[in-house]
Amino acid sequence: MADPIKLAYFMAVKEGASYLGGLLVTDTSGIPLDFRYTEPITPTRLQSILYGKSLEPHLKEEVIQKTLLKELKTPPDLFILSATELAGGWSGDAKYPVLAVQKSQEAPLAKVGDAFRAGPRELLLQLAEGAAPLRVMFAASVDAVAQEQAVVKLLEAGYHMDLAEPLERVTAALQSLVVQGS
Amino acid sequence: MFGRMKDAMTDAAETLRRAFAGLTVVEVVPEPFAFACHGAASLAAETREGLQPPVTGCAEMRLLRNAVEGKALAPLRAELRAEAGWARWGAEAEVVRMTPLAGGQVARLAVPPLPRKAQVLGRLEPPARPLPRRLSEPLPKPDVRRMAPGLRLVEAQAGLDVMLAIAVPIRGEDIQHLPKGMWMRYSLQLVRGTGENVRNLEVIGLFRLPRKGVADLRHDPGQSRILVRLEASALRSPRAPFILARRKDDGSLLSCFVEDA
Repeated sequence: MADPIKLAYFMAVKEGASYLGGLLVTDTSGIPLDFRYTEPITPTRLQSILYGKSLEPHLKEEVIQKTLLKELKTPPDLFILSATELAGGWSGDAKYPVLAVQKSQEAPLAKVGDAFRAGPRELLLQLAEGAAPLRVMFAASVDAVAQEQAVVKLLEAGYHMDLAEPLERVTAALQSLVVQGS
Repeated sequence: MFGRMKDAMTDAAETLRRAFAGLTVVEVVPEPFAFACHGAASLAAETREGLQPPVTGCAEMRLLRNAVEGKALAPLRAELRAEAGWARWGAEAEVVRMTPLAGGQVARLAVPPLPRKAQVLGRLEPPARPLPRRLSEPLPKPDVRRMAPGLRLVEAQAGLDVMLAIAVPIRGEDIQHLPKGMWMRYSLQLVRGTGENVRNLEVIGLFRLPRKGVADLRHDPGQSRILVRLEASALRSPRAPFILARRKDDGSLLSCFVEDA
């Protein structure tokens, strides 16, 4: 019997003047298997001035992302980010396919399981009947073969769960942590 | 029209004739022809130095006699010459002989160069010149402080309990795509488990949930899903099909785990 698919969801947020990130690992039902988060980082005024516009990308990619990736004991089958995080650049490991999922407003594809390639690294995936297809964007490090393998796993997981929803849960959890800390 | 002009001419002639009718003839002995010759001074160029203006004269310059510019110029001398008058009118002509122009003295005028720099006038001198003073004591050197701008390393915390506090949405499986035999088996277990008549039951959905550790469960009819809040024990518990149904007579919800095929 094949190992159950594990999905890792990464999200870094800015709450007030603090930055923090979370990494949620779920099964194909969306049930959490593990959740790690970083302590809120509040840059000083001097650090904000010295880093300038590079402060936020540096914090998210170099500090938060790498810290949480070290906590992954086993590599996930899919590493899922928000579209914003993926657009900001992915500097992490390429052992697993890194992608972003986003709910689209496109018309439904013909049948469940259909995929429409919108670009070399972007496709629409029909996961539920009559619903809008899910937009999937792969990181530059994911080649075509890895994309095809990832699509199979996305279809399998998407049958049981809403693939974009866990990112909302991570955000909600991080916000609750900031509220608890303040 | 020509008749009128003719009358006017006749009147004019009569008038003239009457006006000169009483004149007496006076014999005027003409003066002997005298050769009058007036010499004119020869023109000469006057040598002047520098940028002094050439001497010119005109009647209008008399008015400027007292002015600075007028003094620099030679006044124009005018002579009033009386003529013999009407006696010589028409009888003789007066011939004026002029001596030919004599060669003037030639002098070279040296043009002085223009000043290279314009003189600035009206410059105000400062009332007092500040005296520079030397500070004998040097300023103290500032201490250099070091502040590492690097961001501190953060540690990851385990927060599964935080995540479990948030409800997990579980999507229902499509019952229509289940094998018929399997669905009949599930229905039978539902009737046995709830003790309800199968005709009074309406199946809402089939979900896969952990057998243990489900702390709370809510139905989300808008999206055909249930929201479950799990406990930590749910993570290690195996998943089993879970049927959620509604009683037709009173609308109450019924549920039960069924054995997986």
